[in-house]
Amino acid sequence: MLTRSLKIGIVCPYSWDTPGGVQNHIRDLAEFLIAAGHNVSVLAPAIDETKLPDYVVNAGKPISIPYNGAVARVLFGPVAFARVRQWISHGDFDLLHLHEPAIPSISLLACWAADGPMVGTFHAAAKRQKIIFAIGPILEPAIEKLSARIAVSEAARLTLTDHLDTDAVIIPNGIYANRYADGQKIQKWSGNTIGFIGRFEEPRKGLSILVDALPVISRFAPDVKVLVAGPGDPEEVIDTIDPQLRPRFEFLGKISETEKADFMSSVAVYVAPNTGGESFGIILAEALAGGACVVASDIPAFDDLLGHGEFGALFESESSTELAKVVIDLLRDQNKREVLSARGKHRAQLFDWSVVAQQIYSVYEMSIVGSSKVRLASDTRPWNRFLSKEEKS
Amino acid sequence: MTGWLVFALIFLVNLWYLSFTATRLDRLHHRVETSWANLDVLLQKRAAVALEIAHSDIADPASSMLLTAAAYQARDADIRNRSQAESGLSGALGLLLEDSQHLATAADNALLTELSGLTDKIKVAIALHTDAVARTQMVRRKLIVRIFRLAGTAPLPITYEFESDVL
Repeated sequence: MLTRSLKIGIVCPYSWDTPGGVQNHIRDLAEFLIAAGHNVSVLAPAIDETKLPDYVVNAGKPISIPYNGAVARVLFGPVAFARVRQWISHGDFDLLHLHEPAIPSISLLACWAADGPMVGTFHAAAKRQKIIFAIGPILEPAIEKLSARIAVSEAARLTLTDHLDTDAVIIPNGIYANRYADGQKIQKWSGNTIGFIGRFEEPRKGLSILVDALPVISRFAPDVKVLVAGPGDPEEVIDTIDPQLRPRFEFLGKISETEKADFMSSVAVYVAPNTGGESFGIILAEALAGGACVVASDIPAFDDLLGHGEFGALFESESSTELAKVVIDLLRDQNKREVLSARGKHRAQLFDWSVVAQQIYSVYEMSIVGSSKVRLASDTRPWNRFLSKEEKS
Repeated sequence: MTGWLVFALIFLVNLWYLSFTATRLDRLHHRVETSWANLDVLLQKRAAVALEIAHSDIADPASSMLLTAAAYQARDADIRNRSQAESGLSGALGLLLEDSQHLATAADNALLTELSGLTDKIKVAIALHTDAVARTQMVRRKLIVRIFRLAGTAPLPITYEFESDVL
């Protein structure tokens, strides 16, 4: 993979110390590139400076703004802009990789400030918003500076073509498939069990749909149990569950990566009833890699990831009766479960970092051909060049 | 007095906008050139790999002949015939790959993997090139660009037909 060692600058728009898909993706990518012998610097906002790994440069304290139905911790403003410019001019980068450059963040600032080879990755999938007519003309010239655009899924690509009228290459998010491949089957998690992982308090993760489906499921499979893992306070959710069903639920709290691998190989079916706001569905890729039989709502990102039902079963989003039907069908038919999970495991290899990073790297290679290093755009503007010449002579 | 100030301000803003658009256009033209250069290099590599496949055991004599001819054509074609020649090569490779998958030996497999890796890269390069071309065409259609002839003498970039049928 390594042809020559590159100096790569990656910009993370969201606060490094809050958990999130984009941050995880950048961390894994940076670590993979460093292991491959490249020189990587990540610029990211952070709340607590002391816990940053040594390849991360702190850009300042983030502020919280509402964005796309959630709270985003981002950073912008004149001070941040100065930091970004300083980072670029001192970094001497061969290439900049900006994540989510279309939202107000240091990624967008870096896109404004820099000139040279730049790659942008778009993670979000959102419905077309009217506001884009107002901000489109401002964003377009900036986004245009990116020599290549990457979308993490078909849904993210459609969002991009819809909003900014520009196309992108699809490269999925990466996972370390091997870490999930050899999980142990744990007795207390196996049997007729339904697994769920995620921040269950958030409505868009869809736990309530699974709760609504359970009465029907338990009628056909009397010994069914639901295992819920993920950060959050279970008390509130338990209150909303019918008392008769409460013993069937077990909340495991946040689980580690190895436990996740065991979890995926133990449960009979893994359910992802998300109602939207999902652009890729990294957890599904992990579930497939762990050999779980996956049942997911048919939102575009999941439909795409599961190959329209080839690698996991789909049900109509937000319909608990449909979910119940699909789950009962699978719980009864072990053969079908095994077929799906075998196909899924094979599918997950496509999302392994060894494959994904190679694809990203070939986009890097194409972007740096024939260009010089990344510089500040202000240094290359004609009048500034003219002025600095005067000074020198 | 204020009238003159306002006029001067508007003039300056317009001047800035013209310079801004010219820089933008220059950048786009540069991107079209580099993305084409990328694609060109990859296509040359593909022709070389195609020749190697033609000389290996993967190809039977008849398809070997077809492939050799197509590869040479793709290599030597001038810009006017390039698109047709690359389409021809894509077609010849497609024909061969369709029924050779199951009878390839290990050594041949290395060639085929190289080819499929190359094809993946070519697809990305094509996407980048067509996007750069589309953006450039879009900006060049703007009234301000046409009136002030901001594109200068740079030829209007075009996409090639073969770009849609690479397998």
